[in-house]
Amino acid sequence: MGIRKHSIAIALAMTCASFVGFDVKAEDVKLTVWSLDRDIQPAPNLIKEFNAQNNGIKIEYRQIQFDDVVSEAMRAYSTGKAPDIIAIDNPNHAMFASRGAFLDLTDMIETSTVIKPENYFPGPLKSATWDEKYFGVPKATNTIALYYNKDLFKAAGLDPEKPPQTWDELVETARKLNDPSKNIYGITFCAKANEEGTFQFLPWAQMGGASYKAINGEGAVRALTIWKQLLDEKLTSPDTLTRSQWDSTATFNAGNAAMAISGPWEIDRMLADAKFDWGTALLPVHQEGAQRSSAMGDYNWAIFSSTEHPEEAFKALEFFVSKDATMYKDFGQLPARSDLPVPPTGNAAKDAALATFLEQMKYAQPRGPSPDWPKISKAIQDAIQAALTGQMAPKAALDQAAEKIKSIDG
Amino acid sequence: MRRMISSVRDGRGFDLMLVGVPFAFLFALAGLPLIYNILMSFQEVDMFSLGSFIRPFVGFDNYAALFRQPETWPILTNTLVFVVGSIAGQFAIGFGLALFFWTSFPGASWLRGLFLVSWVMPGLVVGAIWNWILSGDFGVLNFLLRESGLIDGNIFWRSDPNFSLWAVIIANIWLGTSFNMILLSVGLSAIPGDLYEAAEMDGANAWQRFWTITLPMMRSTIGAIIALGLIFTLQQFDLFAAITDGGPNNSSNVAQYWAWDLSFRQYDFGRGATISVIMTVFVMFAALVYVRSTRHEVRG
Repeated sequence: MGIRKHSIAIALAMTCASFVGFDVKAEDVKLTVWSLDRDIQPAPNLIKEFNAQNNGIKIEYRQIQFDDVVSEAMRAYSTGKAPDIIAIDNPNHAMFASRGAFLDLTDMIETSTVIKPENYFPGPLKSATWDEKYFGVPKATNTIALYYNKDLFKAAGLDPEKPPQTWDELVETARKLNDPSKNIYGITFCAKANEEGTFQFLPWAQMGGASYKAINGEGAVRALTIWKQLLDEKLTSPDTLTRSQWDSTATFNAGNAAMAISGPWEIDRMLADAKFDWGTALLPVHQEGAQRSSAMGDYNWAIFSSTEHPEEAFKALEFFVSKDATMYKDFGQLPARSDLPVPPTGNAAKDAALATFLEQMKYAQPRGPSPDWPKISKAIQDAIQAALTGQMAPKAALDQAAEKIKSIDG
Repeated sequence: MRRMISSVRDGRGFDLMLVGVPFAFLFALAGLPLIYNILMSFQEVDMFSLGSFIRPFVGFDNYAALFRQPETWPILTNTLVFVVGSIAGQFAIGFGLALFFWTSFPGASWLRGLFLVSWVMPGLVVGAIWNWILSGDFGVLNFLLRESGLIDGNIFWRSDPNFSLWAVIIANIWLGTSFNMILLSVGLSAIPGDLYEAAEMDGANAWQRFWTITLPMMRSTIGAIIALGLIFTLQQFDLFAAITDGGPNNSSNVAQYWAWDLSFRQYDFGRGATISVIMTVFVMFAALVYVRSTRHEVRG
């Protein structure tokens, strides 16, 4: 009994002390933000700027490692210690939104003068949407397109201003550029057994008219057949099966692959490493005039439904969004906005590449949105790998994936 | 009261305390997680129920679902090949090196110490370096094999389903050999020299001395090394993450990597725990064999 009395007294004393201690800033609302941004990336810098405004809201920042974002966030949410705001990888957004872990922002966005749905590319916005309601705002975005080595095009007698437009042309061009005697593969891309593989394959399936819900559609089967053809004819390195996009594109930069499929994150390294003239093009399509599609990466901002300060948190999001216009200039990331032109950088190659990616961005589609995306993605990866290693026919592999996805997605 | 105190100071109570402290320690740090893991394998667990203790009980559903998956048996077979291949390679090369350095030529102990460098390096670093060595187009291993005329075309160690598991095994053998060598060296130096002198006088040749003295005297060391090797290979994760990611098409996937993939990539903690339980059973069986094999040991 004595101990309990004491502890009450101590608790009281501490509460009083804390009142006294924080009495100066009693009006400040404290928010916490989690993201994986490092010191040269947007989140910590925008937060610094935000705090400098002294508008009665103070944000505390915590950086989280890439692999830990989802698990940390879920653990924190399920134990009631979630932050107010988090930057979440877009395919994981629906998992949180569907479980009510994120705050429905639809009403707040409707009255906001800063965040307007019509200003966003449709793909990124869709990834922050669940059940036709907005559960977040795209933070930045990226997509994939085709890089090609203009010097090798010329050497092979191809017109460097006419990159391949269709899948057939792509294979044909790769054949012409392929030169084993000089250690040059026609093309490099990524079919790795992780999210990167799905990220690269899904656009092809979608261009062929399929979707993750109907992954065994005719177009998807043809896409996988073409991937297999590229591997079987050794037009791409067999290590495409196990190499990341970053490592694959490194072989393009080194001149060991004549074309590469990857994203805008490669531009700066390519400018530094590639000792040749290169260009970019939209992803080749199924056949002439067929629909375009592309992958969509990067993070969304979301507010946890457990927050005690939803309005202040939304104000913080509005502030972040208001800085979209200078995002590329300051941090080298593309805002998910169709209304903001990316200002010229002064480097012609870079500007041309950015223009391609912005054009490609219009066709970018999110992965999902589905609360079970990691499992769906796994089924797709398994199919890609089973077909490309020759252990299953493309059609059979995708049929199996479709069946798995059906049982997951319900 | 006094009897109790004296019993704690010197008596039955003292004995119990001596046993109790480590037992409590073991139970808290190894027993509880193990029980929790077994519990999880009978529940449906995802990220949102991770914080709570009471979760939907699904009986043996996780086990049944796991064995319905087509990749389960190939992955378990891979695990077995990986464990046996790695241990055999590590042990054979490690024993060879230990015997070699046992001949104590000038600088032998220095060289032996240097070998430990491989064991000191973090697994991810080792993995990243082997990743380059094993690379299909530009890898050093392919270059050496090609130049020495052993192969005509490049072997895609990481990406060819026939080789990917062996790629990781090769890296793991390199990683674990020095540890085996050091432990075996310790075992070798503990064998009394007069045994060999006596045998030599009786006319036993080097081969006979090895089979009748060295090996029997090393029995407990070898048992311990194989048991430790089993544990180290079953917890080998970094090399898979760095070299093949379990691919292509699960051809180099093993139980421990798969458990991680299920738990932390697909967020299916129940099934991840199920694989861990299966692995635990396997290790317990191996431990039983080890304990039985060293039980009748006679120390000279």
